[in-house]
Amino acid sequence: MVVANPILYVALPLLVAFLLPLFGKIHKELIRVVPGLLFMFLIFNTVVLFSEVTSTGKPIITQIAGWAPPIGINLVFSAFSGFIAGIISIMGLLVWVYSYKFKKVEFDNSLKYFVLIMLVTAGSIGVVLTGDIFNLFVFLEIVALSSYPLVAFYRGRDGAEASFKYLIVGAFASIAILLGIVLIYSQLGTLNMAEISLRIGEMPEKIKITAFILLFLGFGIEAEMFPLNGWAPDAYSQAPGPVGAVFASMTAKAGIYTIIRLVFTLFDIDAGYQLLLGMGIITLVVSEGIALRQEKLKRMLAFSSLGQMGLLMIAFGINTKAAVVAGMFILFNHAVIKSLLFFSGSYLVYNSENKNIKDLFGFGKKLPLTAFLFGLGAFAIVGLPPLSGFWAKLSLLMASADSNLIALIALILIVSVVEIVYYFRVVNGLYFKKYTGEFEPHKPSWNASLVMLILAAVIVTVGLYPDLIYNYFVNAADALMDKANYIQNVLPSNFVGLN
Amino acid sequence: MSNLVIILAIFGWAILTYLAFKINKTLGNVFVGVLALALPAYFFTYTPSDYTVSVMGMSLQFGFTSFASLFAMLVVVLSSFALLYSIPYMNKKDRLGWFYMNFMFSVGGMMGILMSKDLVSLFIFWEIMTWSSYLIVIYQGKKVNKVGLKYMIFSAIGAYAMLMAIVLINKWSGNVNIEQFFASFPNYSSAAKLLSSLLLLTGFGVKSALMPLHVWAPGAYTKSPMSYTAVFSGALSKMGIYGMALVAVNLYVHSNMPIMGEVIAWAGAITAVLATFWAIFQNDIRKLLAYSSIGQLGYIAVGLGIGTELSVFAGLYLAILHGLFKGVLWMVVGAIEHRTGKTDFRDISGLIKKMPFTFFVALVAIIALAGMPPLSGFVGKWMLYESMITSNHFIMVLFIFLSSTAAFLYCFHFLYGLFLGQQEDEFLKDVKEVPVLMMIPMGLISLSLIAFGTFPGLIFKPIAQAMSTLGFENVTWRMSSLTNAWGNSMFLKPANFMFMAVFVFFLIIITVVNHKKTKKVGTKDIANGGEPIRDEDNLHYSVDIYRPFYRVISPIMKYKVETFYKRISKGIEEFFQFFRRIYSGNGQTYALYVVIFLTALLILSSTIF
Amino acid sequence: MSEELMQQILSISFYGASLALILIGVYGVLTKKNLIKILLSLTIVDSGVNLLFVSLGYIMNGTAPIFSPAIMDGKIEVLKTAPMVDPVPQALVLTAIVIGLGVTAVGLALVIRLFRHHNTTNIDEIRNLKW
Repeated sequence: MVVANPILYVALPLLVAFLLPLFGKIHKELIRVVPGLLFMFLIFNTVVLFSEVTSTGKPIITQIAGWAPPIGINLVFSAFSGFIAGIISIMGLLVWVYSYKFKKVEFDNSLKYFVLIMLVTAGSIGVVLTGDIFNLFVFLEIVALSSYPLVAFYRGRDGAEASFKYLIVGAFASIAILLGIVLIYSQLGTLNMAEISLRIGEMPEKIKITAFILLFLGFGIEAEMFPLNGWAPDAYSQAPGPVGAVFASMTAKAGIYTIIRLVFTLFDIDAGYQLLLGMGIITLVVSEGIALRQEKLKRMLAFSSLGQMGLLMIAFGINTKAAVVAGMFILFNHAVIKSLLFFSGSYLVYNSENKNIKDLFGFGKKLPLTAFLFGLGAFAIVGLPPLSGFWAKLSLLMASADSNLIALIALILIVSVVEIVYYFRVVNGLYFKKYTGEFEPHKPSWNASLVMLILAAVIVTVGLYPDLIYNYFVNAADALMDKANYIQNVLPSNFVGLN
Repeated sequence: MSNLVIILAIFGWAILTYLAFKINKTLGNVFVGVLALALPAYFFTYTPSDYTVSVMGMSLQFGFTSFASLFAMLVVVLSSFALLYSIPYMNKKDRLGWFYMNFMFSVGGMMGILMSKDLVSLFIFWEIMTWSSYLIVIYQGKKVNKVGLKYMIFSAIGAYAMLMAIVLINKWSGNVNIEQFFASFPNYSSAAKLLSSLLLLTGFGVKSALMPLHVWAPGAYTKSPMSYTAVFSGALSKMGIYGMALVAVNLYVHSNMPIMGEVIAWAGAITAVLATFWAIFQNDIRKLLAYSSIGQLGYIAVGLGIGTELSVFAGLYLAILHGLFKGVLWMVVGAIEHRTGKTDFRDISGLIKKMPFTFFVALVAIIALAGMPPLSGFVGKWMLYESMITSNHFIMVLFIFLSSTAAFLYCFHFLYGLFLGQQEDEFLKDVKEVPVLMMIPMGLISLSLIAFGTFPGLIFKPIAQAMSTLGFENVTWRMSSLTNAWGNSMFLKPANFMFMAVFVFFLIIITVVNHKKTKKVGTKDIANGGEPIRDEDNLHYSVDIYRPFYRVISPIMKYKVETFYKRISKGIEEFFQFFRRIYSGNGQTYALYVVIFLTALLILSSTIF
Repeated sequence: MSEELMQQILSISFYGASLALILIGVYGVLTKKNLIKILLSLTIVDSGVNLLFVSLGYIMNGTAPIFSPAIMDGKIEVLKTAPMVDPVPQALVLTAIVIGLGVTAVGLALVIRLFRHHNTTNIDEIRNLKW
């Protein structure tokens, strides 16, 4: 098919990002309209490619500049990477609709904002699709470099501070990743992920493990793993409202993707799974516990988001089919529910200076729809049926039961009780504390309400009928776990490299 | 199919009712009334059939067992009466659509629980029931923040204990079907047996407010609107009993683990005693009834825990009965609150003059609660005592005896404090009898209590059928007589008539003899020796009437399990308050963490990998 | 001194130098309090990594991997068999340098913003967001 191609995922957003100032010169409205058209096209792209992947049962491999892998760079659109790319592009469209009437609309500001969003999208999808490890590094840097200004977007807030912390830690991440790549390249002489995966056994044990640790560290920073996530709560809480959703649904997805690829595909180290599981448990417990003690809404949401990342690492660390499927479900849920919470939450604390939880007391009557949707999101994320969060939690628990991790089940459930405590504190405050009158409620614009309603509808629909999308999770899990198939598809002739 | 349709119809109707209230209040009330009438009409006429849904590779099955339909009957009857009662009761409140929607959601949730033949769908409906009742608990808004949160946290602990049990059962039994779980339970390892049953019991114990998991109940029962509390305490708490009965009987009796049954029975006995004591010292009617509910649920747990045929029979009988009379009592409280706006003993007295009908139904329900002969409660107590004695639980008999004797104290307090006693004309001036729509549900349930007192067989029949699901085949019962293990039998009709005749005889004699001496006394009608009466002086006779008794038992009342929970939660919060300092706010520290993490991994690499 | 030994000494000194640069940089990031010094330390680490990468592909007396017409004509026969320097690391390092430049630029912009906001460049005093 000529129109739909994985390369467009990366090329088009980059192109639009750089042409956007020019569009602005033609007509001011274009800078708002063009990104939307782009996202719509990306979704169309996803649909077409996905139907092709499901009908043929094979991933789509695109070679860039006509060089066949492993020499050239290739993009792999499989049921797994396509699934995440799809989530990213759909969330991109929703973020665009949400921020279409961006507050304090000024030409310069919205231009910068959309350019950066385009870059984040291009980077995140690039990370997910690429089949070349250095290329992956470059895309990660694109994501990081465009996230720093997004965090520091508002001058009035402490965004610059958050952004600077992110930058320091992010620089460490890029150094670690680069060093890991150097080690791999020095031993194997290749950067193609399929080939690395095929020949990883050729590496000396010590160097292999050192490279693994370096990459694990670097990707762990992007995946917001404790104790490498010091930057994350600051960045989430200082960024503009929709950007919190962008982080939860795009960059965090790219981060977790890299670490999954590292453990599942690139290396053959079994202890990697256990390490991922262990770090996931620590991340989950620490983050949810700290979220219990937050006074600021967005910081609380950020820590809760970190907890979800921990849950994801647990799911993938268990490494059974059922657990990976559960992981896909959690990944989907995290994108949808956390975005809803960020979207609605940022309207609830719109006029408040410090974004404290007690500033939104009594808003249930002032902003009925927004408060209701926030409540729905809270119900969903703690896993109350019949909302979508429940099925993810159930399938994760069943998977851990199958792997005999009984203590883990207890732990996850205890943490869920903690989660209920802090989310319901906010919901109770919304409806049953007295409105202080200090902060004027700000009504969400129609487009923001529309996005929140769509997300809520998705949560309820999936909750009532999970089979609607369950097959996608299963296919994605199959594609991820079948390493031989991945290598086979990228290197059809089982080409054994240069040397 | 028809099983699922009834639930989906309730949920759909709930949303329609919400929308109807958006349009017009009258229309909304019509919707409520239609459901209240249609629910029993449909339930008692349809023929059940099984239905299976497949979700995410699990097959969820729906269908009624005869045991479940026993409870379903209670749910349907009580909720349709409570819905009818709600229409006038809630008339002046706002956000009615929201209230009724959640009311119907929780009714649907309960029906769903009873219809579920597998644990996953049971859990789903369990949670729907939980959050919808939570939303009603916090509906009134005033000072409910803590109460609602407490309810939700305890429900969550219970529900997640249950969820853990479910996933483990799924692993050990291979699927989540309830019958197959019971069938394969004897093959579990002993650790698995203990773990799964303890977790399930925690889950069901929270909803049935078994001590020490009862902490949420007094607040939650008190703060929700009374018309819902009738269902909440009458039917919703019975869902815990339903689950507990399934677990207790199927697992312990038939799988030879009697020790767990003893645990339940003793938890029930202690609950019955302590909750009754607490009920005695309450000055708020709603609190009194809430603790009384907890105590009554304790009796039921005793019956289920002992696990003989007779005791389970007694437990189920008491469960149904408790649903009925507690439903009436909550409606009575609601009626008083509706007409006077007050719920404190200090503010209310002498209502018998203005609300005679309400007094009458309250009297009937109280007699049933106290377990005195002409009414149905007597039959239940009789069977419970007999089952305890025949199974050699003599110490437990003392506990239950103590509890039911002490229960007379609060029963008396309830009747005397509200309806009799000193009368203040000022207070009674504007009070009227409740509207007809509120009288009908109260009256009908009271009538049924009277009827069951003489013809307990009307309930015995469905219970006996239900027992067959629990593995007790061919339970014998008689329509209007009781027999015991020693061959004695008692015919209820003559006994009750005799009892009532004696009662009426003495009533007439006392009235005639004391006729001249009676005098109306207001609270201010006292001799005070010249001292001025201050506002804070307690002039009301029915307040603190049991102070001497309190002095006697106060040593055991000092220890509240609640303080223990509070200490735990505070400890956790403080721990994380300390822990969050990891995020020091300094970018360099975060960079240091990265370096430390890297070095740690590199150093440990030989052990990890 | 043989060419091989020379090559070894050279590569060891490359590796040593890059490792030293990395360590110096990390030390700087962790101990210096001035925002600009921290950024400078980050660039030092970057240079270290880049040096390491380039030195990997370097071969003594190697030629550039360019097939120029002169070589193709066969006029300089020696070069035809001479070892080539691996071009991939060089390409990668170029990319990495550009990325490092971008990070530094953004970082400096942030420093300016922070200085205006807090009137200091001491990282210990910029701690509004914590816990």
